Amino acid sequence: MCTESVIVVENLIRSYRDVRAVDGVSLTVKRGEIFGLLGPNGAGKSTLIRMLTTLTRPHGGRAWIMGYDVVKEREKIRRIIATVPQEINLDRELTARENLEIYALLYRISNRREKITAILKRTGLLERQHSVVSEFSGGMQRRLLLARALLTSPEVLFLDEPSLGLDPQIRRQMWDLVRGEAANGRTVVITTHYIEEAEALCHRVGILNRGRLVALDTPSSLKVSVGNYVVECINHEGRLVQHFYHSREEAKYHAYEQPSNVTVRETNLEDVFVKLTGERIE
Amino acid sequence: MTAPGWVPIFLKEYIHFRRKLFKLGYIFSAMVAPVIYLIAFGLGLGSRVMMGGTDYLSFLIPGLVAMSSMHNSYTWVAGMVNLSRLYFKTFQIFVQAPVSSSAILVGEILAGMVKGLFASFLVILIGCIAAQGFAITMPFILALLMNCFLFSALGVVVGMLTRSHEETATYSNFLIMPMAFFCGTFFPLDRIPAFLKSIIYLLPLTHTNILIRKGAMDKEGWLSLLLLLFFGALFFLWGKRLIDGYDE
Repeated sequence: MCTESVIVVENLIRSYRDVRAVDGVSLTVKRGEIFGLLGPNGAGKSTLIRMLTTLTRPHGGRAWIMGYDVVKEREKIRRIIATVPQEINLDRELTARENLEIYALLYRISNRREKITAILKRTGLLERQHSVVSEFSGGMQRRLLLARALLTSPEVLFLDEPSLGLDPQIRRQMWDLVRGEAANGRTVVITTHYIEEAEALCHRVGILNRGRLVALDTPSSLKVSVGNYVVECINHEGRLVQHFYHSREEAKYHAYEQPSNVTVRETNLEDVFVKLTGERIE
Repeated sequence: MTAPGWVPIFLKEYIHFRRKLFKLGYIFSAMVAPVIYLIAFGLGLGSRVMMGGTDYLSFLIPGLVAMSSMHNSYTWVAGMVNLSRLYFKTFQIFVQAPVSSSAILVGEILAGMVKGLFASFLVILIGCIAAQGFAITMPFILALLMNCFLFSALGVVVGMLTRSHEETATYSNFLIMPMAFFCGTFFPLDRIPAFLKSIIYLLPLTHTNILIRKGAMDKEGWLSLLLLLFFGALFFLWGKRLIDGYDE
């Protein structure tokens, strides 16, 4: 991973009526980094992605992608980014190849036929290239979305909940594709509310809650910051209570003090989120 | 060599259109309204009426061509833009691509024009067979092309403005339907009540109907063509402004 900042976000704001969907977010993402945005539904992840991908205009703050301003230089940004949106925005009446042909023409890709064949092969869709998308399963449609995004060889790849509805095997295949892209120097920004996805894939994770960035670090550093081990028990009101400790021994020692139904385990990113916000990721 | 920016937008809509074209129901639905009007007004009522020395059917056919081209161009584009923007989210692919708003607009308009011209062709075909005095003139071709263009552009405007698919029907009911009946499709404009005339002359279909019935260009024909160009430019610039200002 390089130290050059590809994405710079400064105090970005976006409101919908009286609600601030994104509220003063600042961050940087480096070249070749897989950067995760983690948070519950409505945390502002997708709004932030839409602002960075020029679909939504910020109401305050500024952001640059490879030095281009997301408001003033939208067309330049559109040449170097690709997006996998949360919604499956494929043309369902067109075949997989036709969808990619249209996309390749939009981005003026040279040797498009060969490149489309290669990407269909890479995503395991070559045999179904002439099937209309409405006949595809949800997983196949998500793979086609990813194929479409990779077709343009973007400098920055935005993935908004890319593994939504994918079965575990396909999800892992997608992770491998994303890791491969990052290894080739592409920068990846991924939003997810799957904890294991953020932990398995991301070099750094930003935790969003109610439009605000409440933490930003590597997954391991975030866990260290709250404690590597957690003791969970149910209190007399029937509620789950968590206590964090930096060593297993410390955690086990305190577990003995609890009355019953005690679990000692390693901390995950959801625990970090709960500790920081008092809420759960759903 | 790379294709112009409007090509993929047009191509996508063209593939949709081509797929629908081979379904019998689609051709039938494009023909059903003009055929009903033709039978009811042209063959029924019109068999006893003469219009300035020509038979009513020869008067009616150009009006039906104008009406069909307006209806089909507008409805196709307004529906497609609205649905792809609000429900299928495929319009966002165009907005996020490195193509200009003009290219998006041109692609959508050309697709609407193809649909409008196809529907018109079916009516023209009937006209050639059934109406003795029906002729295709240069003003007829100009009027038809301008009509398809401006109503496709209006379709983009409405598709971008509406906040639900149901809302497009409101625009049809208050704008397209009154134009179809009052702008000279079925009866000459000089028979319209005086209080309505000033409003009628502000509507684009009126000028299509004036131009499409001209054997050769005269002063009135040039004025109508100029106004059609004005409406076309107005809707184009309005549509461009809406796409430029796209914000989710």
